[in-house]
Amino acid sequence: MTNFSTFKDLLSYCQEHHVSIGEAALEYEVARGERSEADILLGARKILEQMRATIESGLYSDEPSMSGLSGGFSKKVMAFSESPQSFMSSLEHRMIAYALATLEENSRMRKIVACPTAGGSGVVPGVLIALTDEKQIPMPTLEKALLAAGMVGGIVSQRMHLSGAAAGCQAEVGVATGMSAAAIVEALGGTPQQALDAVAIALKNMMGLVCDPVAGLVEVPCVKRNAVAGIHASAAATIALAGIPSFIPLDEIIDAMVSVGQMMPPQLKESAEGGLAKTPTAVSFTERLYGEQPD
Amino acid sequence: MSSSGSLFNIMGPIMIGPSSSHTAGAVRLALLARNIANQPIRKVQFILYNSFAKTYRGHGTDRGLLAGILGYSVEDNAIRDMFKNAEQTDLEYQFIPYDQPNPFPPNTVKFEITLANGDFLTVIGHSIGGGQVYVSRINEYSVALKGEYPTLVMFYHDQPGMIWQVTKIIAEEQINIASLNCTRKAKGTEAFMAICLDSLLPEPQVKAIREITEVYTVYNVDKIPL
Repeated sequence: MTNFSTFKDLLSYCQEHHVSIGEAALEYEVARGERSEADILLGARKILEQMRATIESGLYSDEPSMSGLSGGFSKKVMAFSESPQSFMSSLEHRMIAYALATLEENSRMRKIVACPTAGGSGVVPGVLIALTDEKQIPMPTLEKALLAAGMVGGIVSQRMHLSGAAAGCQAEVGVATGMSAAAIVEALGGTPQQALDAVAIALKNMMGLVCDPVAGLVEVPCVKRNAVAGIHASAAATIALAGIPSFIPLDEIIDAMVSVGQMMPPQLKESAEGGLAKTPTAVSFTERLYGEQPD
Repeated sequence: MSSSGSLFNIMGPIMIGPSSSHTAGAVRLALLARNIANQPIRKVQFILYNSFAKTYRGHGTDRGLLAGILGYSVEDNAIRDMFKNAEQTDLEYQFIPYDQPNPFPPNTVKFEITLANGDFLTVIGHSIGGGQVYVSRINEYSVALKGEYPTLVMFYHDQPGMIWQVTKIIAEEQINIASLNCTRKAKGTEAFMAICLDSLLPEPQVKAIREITEVYTVYNVDKIPL
């Protein structure tokens, strides 16, 4: 029975059948009866290839976004990684730069993979493609890691709509961070329990994140938030791989996120009516951009 | 994702940015409205509600809606220049943000469509995140249409044998039924049937269904790509 509605179901299935989260995800998708295993893996590979293509087209681009709020950031991080001042590893620099590159392409209205949404589309490719480049993860492992991320997002989405408008940024970059944490653990051969602990640790720290985009654009704070979130996912995966469990079970954390999403006022749910969107700098930028207040 | 939804809805779609709910979702909603209309469109008024109304310009919701009405997919690079592309067509369009309190979910658009033949069609749809959408209303009728399957939507006077008559026509075409949803307001009043199919029902069979006595309206709605 692969019709997982809770993470508890997923974990029991993995432990009973001695499969990873990514392998269980593959079985889940096959059991839906619409695509063969080979076709699903091909689909995963196509997504990974688009993720890489987006990163490659954005990484050294100076082109500003449609609004001018972003552009050229990933290039700067790649240059900084060579500087004597840099203090993070080459892997981390890539994670940051790749996520920035993806979100910058997104804000130029170019092609990206929503994962789970466009606003959170930089986190999973940032960590997965950087990990591949630095740790030589073989393609079959990478495909499973992506499917593991998909399964995590899929189970969360049965309980909350994955949109900032429905539940704030915790449902977008938040969930993307949880998905990424699972993908890292899967890629590095951790156990299903460790993968779900990594998700839990990541999500506990993303809970309550509001969606307050400046001028209603997917740029401030989204572009840089995606980059920071990759590091966040890495920290959560590191804690879990070190053997430290989450005190609160993952399913309870999701319930808490749903409840926090419901308590969140509409001003902080992608309406650009609160938070950063109402700061003086944001308000005056919005006026310049549209020539008037959007509302 | 429903309990058996595809993981490719989560790690996808491959799309033009910047927002899956406000750009890709807008394209897919408009594609669904276009499929519901199922004939040439002369004019569309897009009434935008809630988050759509507040942020549609910044998220490219306007370009996305226009792209969907014109039949472009979520991953078409042309979305970026959709205002220019629309100029080269005869389509008239207008975006109207609605700023009063309303009962709709966050990302809602009402399509007020004038067809080339002069008929008028209203479609209300919602974008629920990750590019996933559903239509809740066609004209005066409540529906729940997600565009995952080619779907036959019909309204008729409740009477015995109706499901048999309709499914017989579908079966004779060798088309498999994925799901069938049937409700009515009250016994002997207006009833509703939505049949999800594995492939789109050809037009002659749709015509045969329209000709069944007491069938008020039939929409033969093709699925929209992921």
